[in-house]
Amino acid sequence: MKPDDKLPENPEGLRLLLQALVDGELDAAAVLEIERRLAGDPALAAEHARIAAVSGAVRRLPRPEVSEAFRARIAAIGEEVTAAPQPATRHVTAPQVSPFDWRAMAASIMIAAVLASGGTWWAMRPVPTNFADAVADAHRRGLLAASPVDVASSDRHTVKPWLDGRIGVSPPAVDLAAEGFKLIGGRVEVVDDVPLPALVYRYNEHLITLVAAPRGSKAGTGTPARADLSAGGFSVVHWSDDAFSYWAVSDAERHVLDDFGNRFRKATAKE
Amino acid sequence: MSGRLAGERFREVVLPHLPDALSLARWLTGNAHDAEDVVQEACLKAHAGIGTYAGGNARAWLLTIVRHAAYTWLAKNRPRNLVAVGGLSDLDELAPQPDAANTPEAALLEKADANALQVAIAALPLAFREVVVLRDVNGLGYREIAQMLDVPIGTVMSRLARGRGTLILELGKGQ
Repeated sequence: MKPDDKLPENPEGLRLLLQALVDGELDAAAVLEIERRLAGDPALAAEHARIAAVSGAVRRLPRPEVSEAFRARIAAIGEEVTAAPQPATRHVTAPQVSPFDWRAMAASIMIAAVLASGGTWWAMRPVPTNFADAVADAHRRGLLAASPVDVASSDRHTVKPWLDGRIGVSPPAVDLAAEGFKLIGGRVEVVDDVPLPALVYRYNEHLITLVAAPRGSKAGTGTPARADLSAGGFSVVHWSDDAFSYWAVSDAERHVLDDFGNRFRKATAKE
Repeated sequence: MSGRLAGERFREVVLPHLPDALSLARWLTGNAHDAEDVVQEACLKAHAGIGTYAGGNARAWLLTIVRHAAYTWLAKNRPRNLVAVGGLSDLDELAPQPDAANTPEAALLEKADANALQVAIAALPLAFREVVVLRDVNGLGYREIAQMLDVPIGTVMSRLARGRGTLILELGKGQ
């Protein structure tokens, strides 16, 4: 008996067609024909069920886990140009990063030389003259904007990836809500033409903007060592760790900001 | 492409597909540790060549690079596993012919033990194994696989059929 359809006669051809049906690679007309044939041919239907079953079993196999360490190693490949290397990933990216470090070092030597020969300071102007002012301006803009944050979330696991996705660098977004400083979100701050990640915290009715400049980037290098900075009526506190140079700005009282800085440092040291 | 742009592109195009990249590398190299080395190597290449990614299926693009890296790795570390790829016509003889007498029921296959299935996949000749993995683990279509392997779609279909046919028979044995 010859079925009146255009399906192949040889079993091998039919098997490929069954398989294409399982894989969703047939057009509607072919699906219709082969389904009609399947309905009247139990052996063919059993073969179809076997192919579907083995395909499904392979599909359901457990996938290898992507460990955090591995993901970080791979992410570091994309970050080597745009951000300072994290210490943990340094061994992976070291060959690519070394010229970068070298330039940063050369720059800091130059800054030292410039500082030493005070007269040429203005002629050279190698670094932003007052980063604290620029950060305070950024904070003021944030207060004036419709929303002080571009991504509003108290969840650090939302804010950090958002910043990573936007500019490829994000500081540790520690949660200090229990200590009175609630993370409300993050935004991208452009200071001296460099896009930098900024976290925004709320303390009572005060907002605190925390700008983090990756160490080794041009932003925030050569900053004065004095801890007491204030600009444009805002308190500014500055500190650094291995990965970032931090600038916290707020209209809150100075001791509040100091307290924030200490708690943030303590929390990031634990991470 | 500037470094910053390349870095952004890399994160968009590559990072979401790491699980797929690791799965493919795992099935090609045979173990998870070597898979990480292969994927890292592939990601370095992907980053360097991110400018050549012209849109389209990012997963297929990355997996093509991973496959190349895996073959390079195999050539260096497991040259014997690659021998079969040269003469695929020999493989036709290896491929089982469907035989109604000892083919298991679909219901048995559905309940197949995951370990037995993994052993059976690992035992497949590389040319069949990679097509099965690209299709059912990585979810690529026939056309994408054909492009990646640089073979006609018909070849992809018959390798897939042979790969699956072997798995069906192997699983049937264990029942």
